[in-house]
Amino acid sequence: MNALKAWFDRNLKGDPIIWFIVILLSILSILVVYSATGTLAHKRAGGDTEKYLFSHALYVGFALFLMWIASNIKYKYYGGLGKFLLMLSVPLLLVTYFFGSAVNEANRWFQIPWTNIAFQPSDVAKMALIATLASLLAKRQRNIADFKQSLIPMILVVGLICLLIGLANMSTAILLFSTCLLLMFIGRVPLKQIALLLLVGGIALSAAMMLGQRGGTFQSRIASFANKEEIPYQAEHSFIAISTGGLTGKGPGKSEQRNTLPHPYSDFIYSIIVEEYGLIGGVGVLFLYLALLYRGMRIVVSSTKPFGGLLSAGLSFALVLQAMVNMAVAVGLGPITGLPLPLLSMGGTSLFLTGFSIGIILSVSRGDHEDQLDAAPDQNKRRKAFQAA
Amino acid sequence: MNIKSSIVLRVRIAFILVAIFAIAIFYRIMVLQVSERDVWEAKAENLHYQMRPISATRGNIYAGDGSLLATSLPFYRVALDPMVASDEVFKAGIDTLANKLAAFYKDQSAIAYKRMISDARSSKKRYLILNRTQVGYQEMQEMSSWPIFNRGRNGGGVLFEKVEKRYRPFKDLAGRTVGFVNEDDYGAGLEYSFNEYLSGKNGEALFQRIAGGVWKPVFDAADVKPDDGFDVMTTLDVNIQDVAESALLRQLIAKDAAFGSVIVMEVATGHIKAIANLQKNKNGRGYGENYNYAIGDQGLTEPGSTFKLLSMLALLEEGKVGLSDKVDTGEGVYKFYDRKMTDARTGGFGVLTVQEVFEKSSNIGVSKLVEQNFGHNPSKFVGYLEKVGLDKSVGFQLIGEGEPYFKKPGSKLWYGTTLPWMSIGYEAKLTPLHTLMLYNAVANNGTMVKPIIVQAIAKGGKVDTKFETEILRKKIASDKTIKQLQELLEGVVTNGTARNIYSNEYKIAGKTGTAQKLVDGRYTQRYYTSFAGYFPADKPKYSAIVVIDSPVGFNAYGGDISAPVFKEIADMIFSQDIELNHRIPSKIFKASATTFPAIKTGKVDELQMICNKFGISNHFQGSADAWVRPVSQSKSIQWQQKANTEKTVPDVSGMTLRDALYVLENKGLRVIYQGKGKVKDQSIPAGAPVQQNNIINLVLG
Repeated sequence: MNALKAWFDRNLKGDPIIWFIVILLSILSILVVYSATGTLAHKRAGGDTEKYLFSHALYVGFALFLMWIASNIKYKYYGGLGKFLLMLSVPLLLVTYFFGSAVNEANRWFQIPWTNIAFQPSDVAKMALIATLASLLAKRQRNIADFKQSLIPMILVVGLICLLIGLANMSTAILLFSTCLLLMFIGRVPLKQIALLLLVGGIALSAAMMLGQRGGTFQSRIASFANKEEIPYQAEHSFIAISTGGLTGKGPGKSEQRNTLPHPYSDFIYSIIVEEYGLIGGVGVLFLYLALLYRGMRIVVSSTKPFGGLLSAGLSFALVLQAMVNMAVAVGLGPITGLPLPLLSMGGTSLFLTGFSIGIILSVSRGDHEDQLDAAPDQNKRRKAFQAA
Repeated sequence: MNIKSSIVLRVRIAFILVAIFAIAIFYRIMVLQVSERDVWEAKAENLHYQMRPISATRGNIYAGDGSLLATSLPFYRVALDPMVASDEVFKAGIDTLANKLAAFYKDQSAIAYKRMISDARSSKKRYLILNRTQVGYQEMQEMSSWPIFNRGRNGGGVLFEKVEKRYRPFKDLAGRTVGFVNEDDYGAGLEYSFNEYLSGKNGEALFQRIAGGVWKPVFDAADVKPDDGFDVMTTLDVNIQDVAESALLRQLIAKDAAFGSVIVMEVATGHIKAIANLQKNKNGRGYGENYNYAIGDQGLTEPGSTFKLLSMLALLEEGKVGLSDKVDTGEGVYKFYDRKMTDARTGGFGVLTVQEVFEKSSNIGVSKLVEQNFGHNPSKFVGYLEKVGLDKSVGFQLIGEGEPYFKKPGSKLWYGTTLPWMSIGYEAKLTPLHTLMLYNAVANNGTMVKPIIVQAIAKGGKVDTKFETEILRKKIASDKTIKQLQELLEGVVTNGTARNIYSNEYKIAGKTGTAQKLVDGRYTQRYYTSFAGYFPADKPKYSAIVVIDSPVGFNAYGGDISAPVFKEIADMIFSQDIELNHRIPSKIFKASATTFPAIKTGKVDELQMICNKFGISNHFQGSADAWVRPVSQSKSIQWQQKANTEKTVPDVSGMTLRDALYVLENKGLRVIYQGKGKVKDQSIPAGAPVQQNNIINLVLG
């Protein structure tokens, strides 16, 4: 046991509790995805149910590997990397919107030329935008209330990216925009300005609804959520799954609704978790996400630089908010969005990017520590400067 | 407050917001699990969903020339989800829709349709089959333009559910060869043998079971798209198939036979051009294709005299006999051990040359020769079966190929009489296909090819798998032997048992066969007659076999029963095959220069064009769209305009019916007619005033 702990300490740097939560969720993910892909395996792989088990386990493993790599990079580089990726993602989003491959009638996937690898540029843009926004906020902490110098550049960046994402994927865009607002709130942008941004966001949303590919779907989903009399097919089965799960659930692999619920391995994985592991499992998952967020918040408290704190906060909130929205959809608190549950849902590239962003959080959690050691002599000076700002 | 503590405070506020969110989720789970539990559990029991297959479109079966032998046509069951249409759409369209439905199906009044749909809507039904009659694709397209229906599935609630039906444009042509597959995936013929290719891969979609045990698709598109089946391109030739079937049928009816089969094969490639199988129907009336006797197990019989070809092959190949060697066949009866063998001619053939033995099909002659040469070593004779590749089935493309049966020397069943009887085609079993392979190999100068019936598997016009001709034996005998065998087979038709099918136009080579049928272990007075051969003998292109089982009446010999069918098929192929038939017609009809061709009445511009082409001088003054009658003047034609003024009945005498109809109906007259040819007489005389809808009677002749 001690040897194991020593190995962890030596190799898995950064907040050990975050490591623990992520590994726990990964194991749960493999279990539930295995159970939920029965129908998919039956349909696509001719009954080879292990096919998805192995591929998903492989993806999870690779995501953890990426997390480890990201945690070993000094987080100060992520500001620049974020900006670079953000600039790259603008053309990517445009190309995907016009030429990408369509799943469910929306062009969201970008196929890397001459390879078989496809990914959603919106995933990349999301991470890059949060890193960039954290950097923008950190640099402008001294004159954060300045409308022209602080708010305008941030609005431009956030608005442009959310608009581009919203063309093909409205839910992601709204969620990202909300996360950015939250991050700006944390980053001390005055409430008045945030209210103004809400207004602008509303206008942009309506514009995207008129112009984007998914405007129709979006409207119909909102309409069907507002219509209390008729429950959509997916929601109905999600509710049946949750309701029949009971306190302790039907047991791993015993879900019944996985056969009739569309995307039981991604959009509605939470329903399957509650069905198989019961209320206990459902609350456990909720708790794990809250704990993850709490640890991310702790980093803000302990960090000495605004960029590190805001980066960590932004990424933790982005991840946990998406998780909350996904779970809210499953229990019927919101309209159907099609957002996966981060860390739990099947899906290669989004899993990798989630792993990478947690790696960044971990890097912040240890990066500060190293900074302190490096800069031990003039530590006081630095702190003074920070506090004076 | 400094920056850091401000950020920390704000982060905490944000965290609390998310925590509240989490509590709300927890609360909703509790609601679903506790207070709404009964609702959802009841729902879970009532909802029946199932992944159900969506059938892929079955591939087509084509003849060699690309004509369709079997295809799948889509039909649609028309159903409606009456709740889908909005009130405005429903109110605006229901009356017209009900009228259209009533007019289309003609089984209920429009009011009844309207009531049915409205009732279903008010009782909130989600699925209503409008009519059990399935509609075709064109009709479905037309229906899609009707009110409510034109809103599609999401706006109007119409459901066109595809049902596929197998359709054969040529009806029963090659019926058994095309075959069938039933719902348990069992069947016969090409449909069954190539089912894996034809059937494609079914897709799947989620269906919900609703009242009445009907399954309704939940989503518009399939979850797993069906992968349509491949097309099977056969080698069959519809014309040859047609003549083979009709020739066989005629003979079967004439001789009241039990069943018959024909196979026609291309010599060089082994492509099967026709397989016909007709069997007396169980009720005793007429014939139908119920079993593939040409290929299948039940077609295995003692082949009879057609097998003598193999005996001759063995004898000649051993080099122990020559065609002009003499054999004494005696007085028509010869005893091998305890069993008597007889010849067809009472009193016997006396002394014959080997060639004559074969031509006259002397049983005694052949078996004496075989007994003399192989009696001490029958295995050597049986070895020839293997050498020519007749000992085993060949893996023909249709499932159910019969396995040839031969006794083995040294086994318990091998008697002293086995060899002589085997040499004339008894105590062994072959299908017509296997016998034909041997004849085809002789025609093909000794190269035995495997018969094939499917030349390619294709999809959307693109060939996926091509089946090439497979050579089973490069050389079944020496060139010299093959030459001699070919001579023998030609001799049968020129001098022997099949003299009756000799033709001056082209040469047929072949061998008759008449086998007594073994029923319950005893040979009966029922016969299995056959003729196997090829044509044209000097440059073989097709080989064929005709077998007819249990003909009734005198002359139940292969030469009289089966050979004429062979001849009829060969004649037809020969007359239609340009490659085979390059005679220069002896008589070419030439129009004599002195008489004018008969020209019918017609439009002047067309007639002038024709005459100008042929260099007939003709003259006309008048407008180019006039109707004219030719008047011959010594060496030219003067066109005379027909009275065709507005209000009077025109003179249509001398016109073809087509032109007369055109002219008269344009005037507003209705035309009835009798007879054929040009118009001789018209009931309303030319020049009479036209009254609308008058009926004019034409007499043609």
